[in-house]
Amino acid sequence: MSDREQTGRGIGRLTGRAESVLRDTLLAQGAGVVGAVGRPAERLLWPVAERYNRRLGERFGEVTGLQLLLLVVAFGGLVTAPLWGQDYLRPLTLGAVWAVFAMGWDIQSGYTGYISFGHSALSGAAGYTTGLLVLHLNPELSLFVTVPLSILVTTALGLAIAVPSLRLRGPYFSLVTFVTVLLFYRLTKALSEWTNGLRGIRVDVFTYDLTLQYYMVVVPMLAVAATLTYVGRSDIGTVLIAIRENEDAVSAAGLDPTKFKLWSFVLSAVPMGIGGVLLAHVNAGVDPQTFVIVDNSIQMIAMAVIGGMSSILGPLGGAFLFVGLRDVFLVGLGEELRWLALWLLVLLVLVFARDGLFRLLWRALGALGGDRR
Amino acid sequence: MTLLSVEDLTKQFGGLVAVDDLSFGVESGEILGLIGPNGSGKTTVFNCIMSIYQVTGGTVRFDGTDITDDKTHEIVNRGLSRVSQESNPIGSMTVRENIELFTFPNSIRSFDGGASDKAIASYAAQVDIEDALNDDPGSLPHADVRRLEIAKALATEPDLLLLDEPFAGLNQTEVRRLSEQFESFREQGITMVVVDHNMRGLMDLVDRVVVLHNGQKLASGDPADIVGDERVQDAYLAGEVSAVQ
Repeated sequence: MSDREQTGRGIGRLTGRAESVLRDTLLAQGAGVVGAVGRPAERLLWPVAERYNRRLGERFGEVTGLQLLLLVVAFGGLVTAPLWGQDYLRPLTLGAVWAVFAMGWDIQSGYTGYISFGHSALSGAAGYTTGLLVLHLNPELSLFVTVPLSILVTTALGLAIAVPSLRLRGPYFSLVTFVTVLLFYRLTKALSEWTNGLRGIRVDVFTYDLTLQYYMVVVPMLAVAATLTYVGRSDIGTVLIAIRENEDAVSAAGLDPTKFKLWSFVLSAVPMGIGGVLLAHVNAGVDPQTFVIVDNSIQMIAMAVIGGMSSILGPLGGAFLFVGLRDVFLVGLGEELRWLALWLLVLLVLVFARDGLFRLLWRALGALGGDRR
Repeated sequence: MTLLSVEDLTKQFGGLVAVDDLSFGVESGEILGLIGPNGSGKTTVFNCIMSIYQVTGGTVRFDGTDITDDKTHEIVNRGLSRVSQESNPIGSMTVRENIELFTFPNSIRSFDGGASDKAIASYAAQVDIEDALNDDPGSLPHADVRRLEIAKALATEPDLLLLDEPFAGLNQTEVRRLSEQFESFREQGITMVVVDHNMRGLMDLVDRVVVLHNGQKLASGDPADIVGDERVQDAYLAGEVSAVQ
């Protein structure tokens, strides 16, 4: 081994140790601070958590008292947002749409380890299906027609990407998805007679009532979160994670990895379709810059990474945090600095908290309740 | 009755012939030893049987059915399971979850179709790791990790087990105990093929031996006859003479 390689490995080990020490320190300090109030709260809440675990634990995962409190507070906060956050309804609505995207990406890429850079093509397919239908077929077309058709087209595109590429191993899948987005982006311009090119297609908003619009997005988002959490906790989620960890072991178990990978893409494409339609109606239109460009795919990945990949609820939290920083808290920094700060945060999470911030929080709360998983 | 039949099997890697026109059968209920010096092609034969490798020529039949072109998971579901030389448990899952994975139905509609806790414990108990079900595989001693690999294979309810170097890294007591467990598998109706480069450990266990050398069948027969076979001794002389005595 060359000196450079040895040095490189040494630095790698040091970085790993530094990461581990920092994580442990943060966890210990976090636990210390919260512990003083957390432990009595945990004792108080445990009977409720126990009841939840008996009824739903097997399907949605067992929780400690404080973890349940976090879920209840987050759920309550989302449901009552129009009461406390009228000024923030727009970013909250967008956060909910991006949460659907991040969760959709997670069930496929986060769980199986086959990283897709092409999910913005899927949301774009949904948005453009809706747009093309209202532009060329009937502007008055009902949501009951556009929504299912958009999801169907997204799923079909998802399968068209997945069938040839998921049989491949290594980086080929990621490359195929990446190229698909580039191709889709160019197509929206090449077919500008149909798509209006960069100008895009105008789509009616659901409603101009921001509160109603918020609920029209949050309710589907909660449904996607519950469904994907259930799937992620089921045998299917276990097999998808096993594919990521050791695909040969999955074959040795008598399970067809290709079939499960394809299924993960379908499970992913459906929420991408739902999210794409929601974004089209929230943004009052569909265009390549808002929907298709590869940056959008990277943002979905960033949200999942910040929250904690392969956890569904982590990417949900990651999406709200990312959109919150992007559209509210960092706006004062100006366009360039804002994005620099955001990508720096993603980098820091990747280096120092690879499991994601929300998973760290979840584990810290779990540790207070005696959950050492 | 012949349960597994390997006919004229050939596997080439570029110009290298790893398995050369090999034929042998495995009778239902027997324990067959597949031995040979390092590099003789034993593991490649297993990889061809399990469709990890595509064969260059020849046929593999299991229970009368041609499985040469089947995919690995299809072969497993026919009742043929393999314990690899390398231990590869999934580190993020407990021992119980690792075994449970091998009981899942091959169905995308199955959300909760794995074996019961009781059944998983019984697979683990057959190799003495029932007390480690809630442990992480990374925390297990080497022998228990090897046992976990066997428990996973048992969880697929196989008719035929391919065991690749199952005694590697185990001490004499552990080898003896594992041999007893293999005997109990046989009593449950499981046929076995055991690969080892060292015949001493297999002598009391196997009914019959097939010896490989440079990818070809060198000899086959009773263990006692094989030990005395001069060609086998010559094949091993280059490496480890004590391996056959």
